[in-house]
Amino acid sequence: MSPPANTAVADAPGTAAGSRLVGQSVPRREDLALLSGTARFIDDIRLPGMLYAKILRSEIAHARLKEVNTAPALEAPGVHAALCGANLVGKVKPWGDLGQDLLVGDHFPFATDKIIYEGQELAAVVADTKYQALDALERITVECEPLPALVDPELALRPDAPLIQEGITYEFGDGNIFDRYRVRVGDIAAAEREADVIVRQRFTTNRQVGAALEPHGCIADYDSFTGILTVYSSTQSIYLVRDGLADALQIPRNRVRVIVPSVGAGFGSKVQLFAHEVIAAVFSMRLGRPVNLVLGRKEVFQVGTARPGDVRYAELFAKRDGEIVGYREYVVHNCGAVSMWGNQVIHIGTNIGILPYPIPNVHVDSDIVHTNTASAGPLRGFGIPEMIWAKEQLVDLAAEELGMDPLELRARNVVRPETFPYRTPMGQVIDSTSVYDCLHKAAEEIGWAQLRAAPIPNEGVGLAVTMKYTSCRHPSLDTDLSAVRLKLETDGTVTIFSSDVSHGQGHATFLAQIVSDVLGVGIEKVNLAQPDSATCPFGLGTFASRAAALLGTACRQAAEHLREKIVQIAAHVLEANPEDLDTSQDRVHIRGLSDTGLFLENLAAYAAYRTHQLPPGFEPTLEAVATYDTPTEREAPDGSGNFSVTYSTAAHAARVRVDIDTGHITVVDYAMAHDTGVVINPLIVRGQHQGGFLMGLGMALGEDLVYDEQGHLLTASLADYAAPRATDLPELTKIYEIPAPSLTIPGGQKGAGESGTGPVPAAIGNAVYNAAGIRFTALPITADRMLLALREKERRGVTTLRYPDDMPDFDGPRSYEEWPGPTDSGLEDLLL
Amino acid sequence: MKPFDFLTPSTLDEALAALHDAPSTTRPLAGGQSLLLEMKERAATPARLVSLGGLEELRGSRYADSGELIVGAATTYAALADARLDGWHGLIPRVAGDLADRPVRTMGTIGGALCQANPRFDMPALAVGLDAKVTIASAVGGRTATAAQLLDPAGGATLRPNEILTKINFPALPTYSGAAFEKVRDRMFDAAVASAVCAISLGEDDRVVAIRLVLGALAPAPVLAERTAQRLVGTTADEHDVGDAAAIATDEVATRECAGTRQWRYQRELVSVLVCRAVNAALHQARRS
Repeated sequence: MSPPANTAVADAPGTAAGSRLVGQSVPRREDLALLSGTARFIDDIRLPGMLYAKILRSEIAHARLKEVNTAPALEAPGVHAALCGANLVGKVKPWGDLGQDLLVGDHFPFATDKIIYEGQELAAVVADTKYQALDALERITVECEPLPALVDPELALRPDAPLIQEGITYEFGDGNIFDRYRVRVGDIAAAEREADVIVRQRFTTNRQVGAALEPHGCIADYDSFTGILTVYSSTQSIYLVRDGLADALQIPRNRVRVIVPSVGAGFGSKVQLFAHEVIAAVFSMRLGRPVNLVLGRKEVFQVGTARPGDVRYAELFAKRDGEIVGYREYVVHNCGAVSMWGNQVIHIGTNIGILPYPIPNVHVDSDIVHTNTASAGPLRGFGIPEMIWAKEQLVDLAAEELGMDPLELRARNVVRPETFPYRTPMGQVIDSTSVYDCLHKAAEEIGWAQLRAAPIPNEGVGLAVTMKYTSCRHPSLDTDLSAVRLKLETDGTVTIFSSDVSHGQGHATFLAQIVSDVLGVGIEKVNLAQPDSATCPFGLGTFASRAAALLGTACRQAAEHLREKIVQIAAHVLEANPEDLDTSQDRVHIRGLSDTGLFLENLAAYAAYRTHQLPPGFEPTLEAVATYDTPTEREAPDGSGNFSVTYSTAAHAARVRVDIDTGHITVVDYAMAHDTGVVINPLIVRGQHQGGFLMGLGMALGEDLVYDEQGHLLTASLADYAAPRATDLPELTKIYEIPAPSLTIPGGQKGAGESGTGPVPAAIGNAVYNAAGIRFTALPITADRMLLALREKERRGVTTLRYPDDMPDFDGPRSYEEWPGPTDSGLEDLLL
Repeated sequence: MKPFDFLTPSTLDEALAALHDAPSTTRPLAGGQSLLLEMKERAATPARLVSLGGLEELRGSRYADSGELIVGAATTYAALADARLDGWHGLIPRVAGDLADRPVRTMGTIGGALCQANPRFDMPALAVGLDAKVTIASAVGGRTATAAQLLDPAGGATLRPNEILTKINFPALPTYSGAAFEKVRDRMFDAAVASAVCAISLGEDDRVVAIRLVLGALAPAPVLAERTAQRLVGTTADEHDVGDAAAIATDEVATRECAGTRQWRYQRELVSVLVCRAVNAALHQARRS
């Protein structure tokens, strides 16, 4: 099942035996600056004459906005200007419609006539210092009439629910349902008829946030002479910010330049244009001075985007022999009050989340709704952890009904074709996978068979398995590309230009490994330039586990182009046949004679200062640009399609202990078996898996944006928002790679960044059930919920209990008969 | 944070005089681990801060002739955690060394915690549980109080704006045979969801002569569980007695009206667990010594 690790890359050029860096744990070149505190983030930048802006945010979640009076703020010491919604209507274009099928114009720098979530921007001031700006904000008066707040996504469906977005007419008319999503693959009615076992459960998911250590922030610096607006921003995508900002401000895109310094992580929370970036830009354009606008921690919780919250009515159909024949789901998808990417999360999360099972009949409906809560956006896993939370627990429920070992049921169903590529009923083209082996490896390493046969009291084991996109052709954006420009400098060093921002992925290291291998140049001579839209080719940014596979491929191709040019010069000077030449040890030489030949330094100098040495007619630019757009498909009207160029795998096994006195859950052991294809840098990939697990652990056991009924956020600080801490981590020593190199990606690599997150909540949920008999259907699984569930189970004298479904105060549907249906499932010709 | 004047007196009298001048706009600053956070959020906007950091007399711990343990109010958790104390007094450094995180322990003080009077903090529950006395100074005279009197049942401390808490006296070793502190927190370094303190005196016959039982984080101030304690007096506090007492404790201390919230129901469930753990740990110590 597992092809040999290096088949896809064995014959790559410029790889003299023993000198390859791809595949080696080269220490991250980024780390010295990060660990020594010398890395520069947004708030470390000091520009001459820089001013500081701060934003006044709404303290209520839903209200009609009557008046915002900024005049008193202008009287405050040090203040240069103030802005509110009324100042910008007609001057700034609402945004949110860059891609197809995304919401039209729901984003604006400030509330104008309505406040629709707590933390929404009401006004801003810019002053000499940030403290003066904060002082001035206190002088601004706001007049508004509170409206009933809507927090529960299922209540948003009701015709009598308060209407949130009033100014926008959606495809489906008025109301809080702003989009719908469908999958119609196979014949679900037939699957239901043929099924021997049907398991059903309502699941809910939590609003996890990125909680990146560096808050969102930017500096806008408008040059009133050249008319160029330079924006330094903590973002994952410079072109989404540049194009969005130019569009909002209605200025040409060559007049907006976005530069990104070190980014203190994003995890998906920094992949869009934010209001603060527009506000800083407007201030800077008005005043002709640089303006710093960095958000505080509370603001990041309020407006930095969060995972959508789902209510999932999920059903799984299986045959007696364990074959899974159908999956049906109705999802109420909570995207908050405004949402750039939230509706896309359900598309990709569902399409990919159905893996690793090639289920022939899939039927999904989703109502995508607004509530008076934080904006939903991308977050590590993009909908997949949410779907896996439901589906992988249904698999365990089915195993229980069938009397099968959950490992055996999974092994029976994971995609395991005779030949590759293999197209699943959902449309994914699986070009390689070791999922079957990963599953068994994870189970074996956790001690699955022994612990199931002889359980330890109050301990349990659980499994979950996912396959994960490696980048993605977004349904809303018909593109999936990354680009690299490589430049051989006049001294033989190499500069990499990429607009894909590294915010933890180690671009400066792994791209240099690739360049070093292809050009035969020492890694110390390769440098990654700062992401800058003025110098870097167009790329989408760093998200969706795309860096190693897409950017890495673009980099490999650019390096190969550059190598051809260098070899051409060398062949001319050495009067050799280009086919006889090779590159290694910083030079071009006759194959096998690596101590001879010409140094790259000389070849580069010929093209700059000794042009008579060049071949006749040779164009002397020693640069190469390559853009890699994946051979992926657009989403079909039935929801199917191959969105991803290749699929990585994560099979996880958790062993948990439940303290029956306090409800505390400890993950005592955890095994992760992954297929990341050809791993460029095992150290980086291991770090990604560990970090991915940590985010999954937070989603499973603590993190959530908790709102009261008025839409007030109760967890807007790191003290209240229960992100995991170092002491909550198990020893993460059981991390294994079983590489099945991608046959589509030229280097064989697959995405690593998010595969560690997907299975975690479900694996822990299944282990918790095994340990304590409590089936959690809601996230997160906190100690208070666990203890109350244990007490209720004891009170009733039962052996198993669902939380919260079987609790006395649960007010949702307790049985399938009471389940709600999609609001408009009859509309089969719906535009997806 | 708003601008403020920062005064750094070197004697207690100077500090008290500064507070006396403008008590409504001046705040004493001990470790600043609560006040500075409030000021950052602009929830507190004092015009002047009087630092207690330079007052040697408010720092450190020592034994009085009476055998009482005197701890200076501005003693940091970290300094307290390093103190080597005998018998059940050893509980105090153990609690100080297992709360918040290291940066907070380095700056935060025992007196600051008592004046902040956050019911989820460990020090208020511990001080009440061990029946500590506090000494309070002001420019117009001083006073003493019990820790329970310092902590207002409705929340907050009963300190006047011109007063400074100067020291905390823990009873002499013979007062109890054993003492224990138990807590449940969500994550390491979080404040307690619920806590319990038990101080116990055993007679020659191994029976409970006196017992003090206090629950923290359940109410705006630590709650003394007298009825529960009474159940154990005169007994050998065997498994049955402790179980009984724990059941009584739940009804005795977890009576707040807002029984509907999940957090409250969780705290309520923890009461009996913590009472059992605290009583058994205190007994264990008493019988070992």
